[in-house]
Amino acid sequence: MLTLKGIEKSFGEGAGRVTVLKNINMEIRDGSFCVLLGPSGSGKSTLLNIIGGIDTCDAGEIAIDGRAMSDMSEKELTRYRRRHLGYIFQMYNLIPNLTVRENIEVGAYLSDHPLDLDELLSTLGLAEHQDKLPNQLSGGQQQRTSIGRAVIKNPDILLCDEPTGALDYQTSKDILKLIETVNQKYGNTVIMVTHNNAIKDMADEVVMLHDGRIRDVIHNRVKTAAEDLEW
Amino acid sequence: MKNPLRKRHLRELRTDAGKYIVIFIILVMSISFVSGFLVADGSMIRAYDESFEKYNIEDGKFTAEHRLNRSQKREIEAWGVQLYDLFYHDADLTNGSTLRIFAERTEVDRVCLMEGDMPQSAGEIAVDRMYADNNSLKPGDAVSDGSHEWVISGLVALSDYSTMFSDNTDTMFDATTFGVGVVTADGFADIPGEPVRCYAWKYLQTPADEQQEHDLSEDFMAYLNDRIVLKNYLPRYANQAIVFTGDDMGSDRAMMEVLLYIIIVIVAFVFAVTMTNTITKEATVIGTLRASGFSRNELIRHYMTMPVIVTLISAVIGNILGYTVMKNLCAAMYYNSYSLPTYVTIWSPEAFVKTTIIPIIIMTVVNWLILYRSLSLRPLQFLRHDLSRRKKKRAVRLPHGLPFMQRFRIRIITQNLANYLTLFAGILFANILLLFGFGLPMILEDYQNSLSDNMLSNYQYILSIPSDISDEDHRLESLVSGMKFLSDVETDNPDAEKFSAYNLMTVAEDDIRSEEIMLYGISPDSRYVHASFGPEDAYISQSLADKYDLEPGDVLRLKEKYKKDTYEVRITGVYSYEAALCVFMDRTRLNKMFDLGEETFAGYFSDTEITDIAEDHIGTQIDYQSLTKVSRQLDLSMGSMMDLVYAFAVVIFFVLMYLMTKTIIEKNAQSISMIKILGYSPGEISRLYIVVTFLAVIAFMLLSMPIVTRAIIFLYKYMILREMTGWIPIHLKPGLYVKMFVLGLLTYTLVAVLEYRRIRKVPMSEALKNVE
Repeated sequence: MLTLKGIEKSFGEGAGRVTVLKNINMEIRDGSFCVLLGPSGSGKSTLLNIIGGIDTCDAGEIAIDGRAMSDMSEKELTRYRRRHLGYIFQMYNLIPNLTVRENIEVGAYLSDHPLDLDELLSTLGLAEHQDKLPNQLSGGQQQRTSIGRAVIKNPDILLCDEPTGALDYQTSKDILKLIETVNQKYGNTVIMVTHNNAIKDMADEVVMLHDGRIRDVIHNRVKTAAEDLEW
Repeated sequence: MKNPLRKRHLRELRTDAGKYIVIFIILVMSISFVSGFLVADGSMIRAYDESFEKYNIEDGKFTAEHRLNRSQKREIEAWGVQLYDLFYHDADLTNGSTLRIFAERTEVDRVCLMEGDMPQSAGEIAVDRMYADNNSLKPGDAVSDGSHEWVISGLVALSDYSTMFSDNTDTMFDATTFGVGVVTADGFADIPGEPVRCYAWKYLQTPADEQQEHDLSEDFMAYLNDRIVLKNYLPRYANQAIVFTGDDMGSDRAMMEVLLYIIIVIVAFVFAVTMTNTITKEATVIGTLRASGFSRNELIRHYMTMPVIVTLISAVIGNILGYTVMKNLCAAMYYNSYSLPTYVTIWSPEAFVKTTIIPIIIMTVVNWLILYRSLSLRPLQFLRHDLSRRKKKRAVRLPHGLPFMQRFRIRIITQNLANYLTLFAGILFANILLLFGFGLPMILEDYQNSLSDNMLSNYQYILSIPSDISDEDHRLESLVSGMKFLSDVETDNPDAEKFSAYNLMTVAEDDIRSEEIMLYGISPDSRYVHASFGPEDAYISQSLADKYDLEPGDVLRLKEKYKKDTYEVRITGVYSYEAALCVFMDRTRLNKMFDLGEETFAGYFSDTEITDIAEDHIGTQIDYQSLTKVSRQLDLSMGSMMDLVYAFAVVIFFVLMYLMTKTIIEKNAQSISMIKILGYSPGEISRLYIVVTFLAVIAFMLLSMPIVTRAIIFLYKYMILREMTGWIPIHLKPGLYVKMFVLGLLTYTLVAVLEYRRIRKVPMSEALKNVE
């Protein structure tokens, strides 16, 4: 269980100070698919980064399974990310001189119990491209690779920051399907940041952010399969 | 599971082969050279040290007026020594050199055969290897003194002549105009004339330390003086022909090591700068890896691996080359200066530590520090490409009046400051090497050329005063001897002018050697020293002033050799004389200062040769040949090294310019691609990126000149003060700088051609790609 209590975050100083997160309180259940939805500047990526331990909050507390992140040293935070988190970004950030397979292995190296690489490669639809370098792949294939890199270590939480932001409609749907499959197959908690309203229908929980505050939280009783999403 | 990032190393090596190859070459060159030097030096020192026992080197030698008879020998040996005959003839050969010929030695100061055979018949001679090399002689050749001819049977090293000092009072040795050789006993007997009655001795009980050796020698001399007429007495510790090599060997080690470490630090910075660029390029990847749980240390290790591996491989190959090729080259440098026996290469743990362990430590530490700093940013900063440490990065304001292209170039410089600073450091270092490589031969040549105009007189004769003149125990005899000597050394040569002289030593400080300073007492209205000395005046020679940074008003402290008495001379002027380190004062003052007696004199200045004084009475003759010994020897021993230094400087120049320019272009590949898309031609782009570095190279070259000049003068003084007696003035001519400047520009032109090709190859798609 991931718990956020009274999270506050500001940028800048003096008159130029902007508060991007104001008193955020929420809970995310293990294995759920949570979408952080909101327009640009609503603070959703900042919130994701704070959850991921790569940014800090000014006030409030985040706890994972009861352990407060604010008590963690830099080293412990690194260990926390290593053990519990997987990251997917809008930009794929693959290592240019490693093949698809090797890029995914980079993620596997961080885990004591990684998933089976060959099985994951076929789940991702990358089996036939596994020996290619990133610059030989399409954008969708590169994003699949980055998903593979995040998923292979079988993290407790998969953090996705606008994973389809740079992709076309069909490829975006393919990527969403893949994340959905991963969530169902491996049982990871997925937290996805998006500004695409349609994606909220595939989530268990939707946290709607506006101007740094939670405007609404929706629990979808019936989820729409990624395949059926339209925008 | 092994870290998959390791697979990048080999690929990076392939894609960035140019960078790694040049760095590898420069590291291998420097490590192999220093390793070879240390191994050769260590092995040579070992061979030299062992030669004392192996060749049974004497404990000293003396020359007697008359041949010792058996009972005299027995009486002398009763003191506790073993005597050996070491007679010799000095033959003036037709090639202009003097060859000291000994009979074959079997017991003491034995001979090491280096090439060919030992003489078998009376007409054969084995000569010193270095003397033969310097005079282009080889086995089978003949040498002659006009009346006698010898065929060279082999080349040898005489254990008591590792340095070719013909006379122990010489300031420097000269293996071109002086050499040694051995003939058979019959061959020796065939040489007409009386040989020099030289006897070597060995103590029956080896002295425990230097002090005891010194005391024994003093006692033995007194013992000898009571029994025979001594012409010359020279204990081993004072015999330059034996000990100079040992003193000199090993003294270059520190400089070689410093040279290596400077190169390693520069290379480490080259790696660090290129790595910082890689980190900028891979910022988002690093951010992702950090966000995924890679620790900073794991990434530091990853980025450090290649520099450390390249250094390690270079060190291994460098050491292999060091022990094989370079060792021979460096040993040859020693063989150019000294007549050393053959040596056996010995494994040097010190060389291994200094050329392998320390470079790796330097590389690791420099890279670790820079990477630790570069990678200390938070993952989010990497992801956002926000790599600046300053909170608000503001662009430097440039005047709008400046043409656009100029502003563009300035931006390139400010963006790549670290690259340009490394380039500057490299240019500085390479220029120091270049100036040294170009400068030293020129300094020596200039010195030799200018010396003939700068001599006090064409000839200077220093008289050899017989030891029996000052025999306190036999005053009457010594008075008679003294009067006879004075009448013997009068000359009718109208050019001759008497002078007094007294030799003192400088006071050794820290690791600065003590050396001999001649104090001249000049006759009033001298023809040869153009200065009028008041009763308190003391002028020092220009070279003495230059070497020890002395000026009028300073006090020069000197001491007696082997005694504790010190003297202080207040300097009142500097006399324009660069050929020797000396002090000039009024003759009366000097004689008084050292209680020499009013009319005493030590020798003559003369522009023409003095022929009416017996050679026995002349201790030293200072002429052009003897004054240029230092420079000729330096030229010989360092000539081959200068070529290496010079080649090395050019390589460093090229490597640094190439790497830094390459990094700047790679760092800007996206911008270059973008301006290509906008319609700039490769020529225009080159004018931006290559010209800016070209301008920087020009500025750095000019800026480095005064710094390099100061550094060279400092290093030169440092080296001469610690390693050599005497002084050679350092005059760096403007032509040297022009040469350096042109060489720098030519090197950069070559780099520019390579980089122009690189710019042409930057694809336009580069700008359209995302981070990957």
